[in-house]
Amino acid sequence: MTTQNTSSPTSADMGLFERYLSVWVAIAIVAGIALGQFAPAVPDTLSRFEYAQVSLPIAVLIWAMIFPMMAQIDFSAIAGVRRQPKGLTITTTVNWLIKPFTMFALAWLFFMVIFRPFIPEELASQYLAGAILLGAAPCTAMVFVWSYLTRGDAAYTLVQVALNDLIMLFAFAPLVVFLLGISNIQVPWDTVILSVVLYIVIPLAAGYFTRKILIAKRGAQWYDSVFMKRVGPITPIGLIITLVLLFAFQGEVILNNPLHIVLIAIPLIIQTFLIFFIAYGWAKAWRVPHNIAAPGAMIGASNFFELAVAAAIALFGLQSGAALATVVGVLVEVPLMLALVRIANKTRHHFPTEAH
Amino acid sequence: MDNVIDISNNALDFIKQRGGIVTIRLSPRHSCCGGLTNVAVAEARYPDAPQHYQRHMQDSISIYIAPDLAAQGLRIDVEGWWKLRRLYVDGAALSAG
Repeated sequence: MTTQNTSSPTSADMGLFERYLSVWVAIAIVAGIALGQFAPAVPDTLSRFEYAQVSLPIAVLIWAMIFPMMAQIDFSAIAGVRRQPKGLTITTTVNWLIKPFTMFALAWLFFMVIFRPFIPEELASQYLAGAILLGAAPCTAMVFVWSYLTRGDAAYTLVQVALNDLIMLFAFAPLVVFLLGISNIQVPWDTVILSVVLYIVIPLAAGYFTRKILIAKRGAQWYDSVFMKRVGPITPIGLIITLVLLFAFQGEVILNNPLHIVLIAIPLIIQTFLIFFIAYGWAKAWRVPHNIAAPGAMIGASNFFELAVAAAIALFGLQSGAALATVVGVLVEVPLMLALVRIANKTRHHFPTEAH
Repeated sequence: MDNVIDISNNALDFIKQRGGIVTIRLSPRHSCCGGLTNVAVAEARYPDAPQHYQRHMQDSISIYIAPDLAAQGLRIDVEGWWKLRRLYVDGAALSAG
């Protein structure tokens, strides 16, 4: 049995916001810097609303970004783990046993060695920390778009997202603490635990129970077509407002080091291609069908950047280099992933086409 | 293909145990950055708005299927264990929302 389309969708089939995400992020950077420079009272006032060193406005914005994505994860899809064992083996191994470590290695090589003359050591450590946070969480929501653009298998995409999100719940914090530890970046365990509870466990539990209760009460169709229709668009709004605020605090860093954005982007770009080709090449070697191989490679190449931004802010603060590095991840995400979509679609003929 | 959708024997049993009705529809997935994609899903229940579906009788069950998904060569099967048993639609590509 095959999928019904014969022509590949193009980036023109993406929503306006996601297609031009880099543009909106760039506008958010400029708007944030302008806000910080010309109306410093706004970030100063917002920074006063803190409880237990957690910025309440930022916490609310981060929940607004993450909760809608968690509320649409169908964990019952986990039941399908036995259907595509090769694809799931590749994506799980690459995402959790390879990707975090290649990200660490590349970021360390570039920030601590190659770019040493251009970046002060303390800032380089912060950028390394941001890269580690990006590498420790695979994509959760955009992977459906990348899967669509490469004519990926929908049922498989659902399963791999559910499986990776479940693993993320347990693996994100230990991986981050381990990699920060070997980078000599000390983060107290209680701070890490607090950020994981605040920005993963609470939104995930809230999303899971919201989904379960509302579907039991109103049905899955109502949940999809009414509830998620209202809640889903909150994520990009939360993302952009968070970025504006973040750059209101980051203004001085950016104005003093505009080149740093380019320097941060270099290892992130290399990592994206490297992880894609590891997973995609492995899938080709195992003769995995293209509609499994493409989404399996895309999920690791793309990042759960909302979580990375949230964790960077929670662990290192809004004004940190770590937070800046995670935002550069957002900035380069869409153009890079569209390049990978093109590569995947042009190399389709190298793979078996049947998934069933 | 004569059937509006291919249904495995296990899925047929599963649907019959739950009243003999299945709804096959597109479930939207919001991306983190504003876009929408649709995933084909199957549920052993009556649809919320039956007027938006094609209705067919097949293998002694009532099938309510979104018009976009009918006669596309898709297959419904069942997976999982105990409380986690669920229907899934095989062979469907994602579509733009």
